[in-house]
Amino acid sequence: MPSNAPAAHIEVEDLEIHYGPVAAVGPVSFSVQPGQQLTLLGPSGCGKTTTLRAIAGLERPSSGAIRIGGETMYSSARGINLPAERRGLSMVFQSYAIWPHMTVYDNVAYGLRVRRKSRAEVEEKVRRALDLVQMGQYADRHASQLSGGQQQRVALARACAFSPSVLLFDEPLSNLDAKLRGDMRIELRELQHRLGVTSLYVTHDLEEALAMSDRIVVMRAGKIEQIGPPDEIYNYPRTAFVADFVGSSNLIRGRLRPDLARDGLIALESEGGHIVHGVAHGRPAGAEPVLSVRTVHLRLVTGRPDGGGANGAANGAAGEEPVNVWPVTVRRSVFLGDLTELHVAWGGRELVVRCSGRADVGEGQPAFLSADPRHCVLLEAA
Amino acid sequence: MSTASGVQERPGAQAIRSRSWIPSGQAVAGIIVILVTAALVAYPIYYLLQASLDVGEPDVRPPTAYGLDNYATLPRYSQIMLNTLYVSFAATVMALVFGFVTAWILNRTEVPFRRTLEQAMAVPYYVTPLLGALAWSLLGAPQSGLINQLWRALGGEGAIINIASPLGIAWVMALFEGSVAFVMIGAVMKSMDPALEEASQVMGAGRLRTMLRITLPLVTPGVLGAAIFVFAEMLGSFSAALVLGTPSRFYVITTAIYQLVAQYPPRIPLAAAMGVSLFAVMFVMLFIYRRIVARRSYVTVTGKAFRPRLADVGPLRWVLFAICATYVLLSVVLPMLTLIYASLQHLTAIVPSAANFTLDNFRSVLSQNAIRHAITNSLLLGVMTATIGVALTGLIAWLVHRSRIPGRGLLEYAAMFPQAVPRLVFAFGMMWAWLVFPVPIYGTLWVLLIAYVTVFLPLGLRTISSVLMQVDKSLEECGEVCGASWGYRMRTITMPLLRPGLLAAWMLLFIASVRELGASILLMGPHSQVLTPAIVEAWFTNSSERTAAMALIQTFVVGLAMAFFLIVTRRMARQGG
Repeated sequence: MPSNAPAAHIEVEDLEIHYGPVAAVGPVSFSVQPGQQLTLLGPSGCGKTTTLRAIAGLERPSSGAIRIGGETMYSSARGINLPAERRGLSMVFQSYAIWPHMTVYDNVAYGLRVRRKSRAEVEEKVRRALDLVQMGQYADRHASQLSGGQQQRVALARACAFSPSVLLFDEPLSNLDAKLRGDMRIELRELQHRLGVTSLYVTHDLEEALAMSDRIVVMRAGKIEQIGPPDEIYNYPRTAFVADFVGSSNLIRGRLRPDLARDGLIALESEGGHIVHGVAHGRPAGAEPVLSVRTVHLRLVTGRPDGGGANGAANGAAGEEPVNVWPVTVRRSVFLGDLTELHVAWGGRELVVRCSGRADVGEGQPAFLSADPRHCVLLEAA
Repeated sequence: MSTASGVQERPGAQAIRSRSWIPSGQAVAGIIVILVTAALVAYPIYYLLQASLDVGEPDVRPPTAYGLDNYATLPRYSQIMLNTLYVSFAATVMALVFGFVTAWILNRTEVPFRRTLEQAMAVPYYVTPLLGALAWSLLGAPQSGLINQLWRALGGEGAIINIASPLGIAWVMALFEGSVAFVMIGAVMKSMDPALEEASQVMGAGRLRTMLRITLPLVTPGVLGAAIFVFAEMLGSFSAALVLGTPSRFYVITTAIYQLVAQYPPRIPLAAAMGVSLFAVMFVMLFIYRRIVARRSYVTVTGKAFRPRLADVGPLRWVLFAICATYVLLSVVLPMLTLIYASLQHLTAIVPSAANFTLDNFRSVLSQNAIRHAITNSLLLGVMTATIGVALTGLIAWLVHRSRIPGRGLLEYAAMFPQAVPRLVFAFGMMWAWLVFPVPIYGTLWVLLIAYVTVFLPLGLRTISSVLMQVDKSLEECGEVCGASWGYRMRTITMPLLRPGLLAAWMLLFIASVRELGASILLMGPHSQVLTPAIVEAWFTNSSERTAAMALIQTFVVGLAMAFFLIVTRRMARQGG
């Protein structure tokens, strides 16, 4: 980020939330730039929803500070804790929270009426919000007459109607079926861009996070594991947890062999005696270095790939011995539709390989396993 | 991304911010509710404890000396304790049998007219033990009881049943508590996943084995909880023992307390010591009950009701139907018919004769000014108790379940506390408390109003809480995030969503207040007569036929008021859209 970057719109500083003696969150710190979408990603119980609710003012933190648009919403040091209704935010709830005793129109108009807007303005903004989510013709319906997807759209219209500058999303798509979820994902992203609204999004779904976010915060057990843009989170996981949670990975432990390092690559001798070349990504190797290789980045072929780098795996110069190529035996092959998952014996352990479509190697057959060193990433020392 | 977006324009936030120095409506309401609840509950309890420790000169207040002498004399009344334990235990066993059998039949078998029977099972609760005791006394008194008259007319000797015996009292108590046991045990059976039983059958276990090894262990904690709850209620029950036991000088602890207060000279400190002991025992039992219930709900996790698979019992189903129908017959139909039959006669006789029939009983009852006043007072108190009670318990329920204010657990505890204190004992403390209150409200309707609101806090709170907990919390949170103030949220979201619960609570409180006996009998004054104590008084001093007429008038008036209320609220609901 250049130094003249705009001031962060949402700032969370050393936020901690305790339930009695149990620390549910923290301390965590992160910030969201104006107009950007940040996603809190993690398994259930990792504290992501609690963090979001604390920002909304629905949960009382134990310490830290929350600032929105430069104004302090919560600060333990200064004894400030604005109630949710004075924070001027908007939120889409996991359960949609569409009020069943009101019509769609009344639901969407709520935030505007709270702000004592004129009848004409309410009318105009509700129409605009409903049109935005293509629910214009449902204005007079009662919430109980809507399907799940329609309720989701109304919840979205209601959250946007009073033009809030910050939108919070608490797993808004988790109650939709898979197909609808895919569609809504794209729609939400477009909407967010069109409105230029700063958003904070909570999900446990990796694809959702990767597809929708400008930046991702991966959380685990109330702490932040890694912050970064989607491609960096995916390509350069910082810890074993992120590597595994953000798409499945093989973790290879061993010791560094500086003597075999070349071309800017590091070399690691695995516990089974194999030499694996990989990238350090500027990270210092600790006492117990670990390389992470995604299951989809491993390749399995029947014939030995030659040193010319024809298969793209080895990038050594011609004539030189290709790196990261090993003869293996396929132990198990599981057909998963889009993918086939293969378990191969490799130096006294198993590696998992996922290849698209059907594998051309059967169970019990020998094959060659290869991996592009650029995809073998050194994890940060614990 | 452009830098201009968002940060400067925060519509609404500024306007809302400017009020930030005003204490929020929520905080103000919270503090008032906590103070009011604490005062209502703690103030009388304090005076009850004080009276029980008073060993100074009688009739001098505040007490001149404190000590435990009153408690030390309690063992001398061991006969009363034994009576209480005997009646309560017998009544609990019977009530549990009624409750378990009917709950099992209606939840687990394909009994005919299941829906109708299930609705009919709630009716005994509304008939109340007092009416039941009056009616069963007419049926089963050793000399004049209709059943014994019939027995002798058929050539029998003496009396076949004696309702004034300890077992007779227990029988009447059990009949009306049976419907409470039914609801509690039925809830346990409904919350059991039928897959647990099906799994046993799939593995080859027969129906009996499944019942013994799976069903029974699963429902045991729930039934045990119900047993403790029912037993605690029985210990504190008053009206059946008063009507049936007092004439033959058979006392249980509640009637003994009443006797000690009502006699001349009264023995207030001793009565207080008895009351405190009783409430200590009930408190411990209800504490155990809560522990059991809490642990059970922890294990089953989901509060969701399963649709149990119903056993096909073949022609046996008519027997099961007869069992349920008999219960409703004995607890509702027979008592009501008896009251109607008796109220229409000069002297209740099993063999009807034209000369014996009369409307005089109704005529004479309705011509008495005192009774007309009592009816008006009861209705007025009912409406006021229900209205104030709903507002107060509604706020308590919301604060307990939804707010983040500190001390909300304590608030729930305080509001549920009267559950553990028999109404008679509570009223006893209140009598003392309001006697010394600087504003002279003792002997007026106000003290009755305060008493009713206090003793029915648990009833209102339970009713409203159960509805509130079914309402998704995020519906209100969404209003919060939308920027609505507490008052606005209450008005536009919480109250409309809680409407069914608030109406149900209003009705329950109204019925309960009009029917209230234990607190009223101690607290009403000559100028604040209410109906139920008047009925009991008539029972002891007047003819039983006229008492029957009064009881029916009360039932009729309550029914009429309910019908009126239902029609009005329905119409309002329709107009409100």
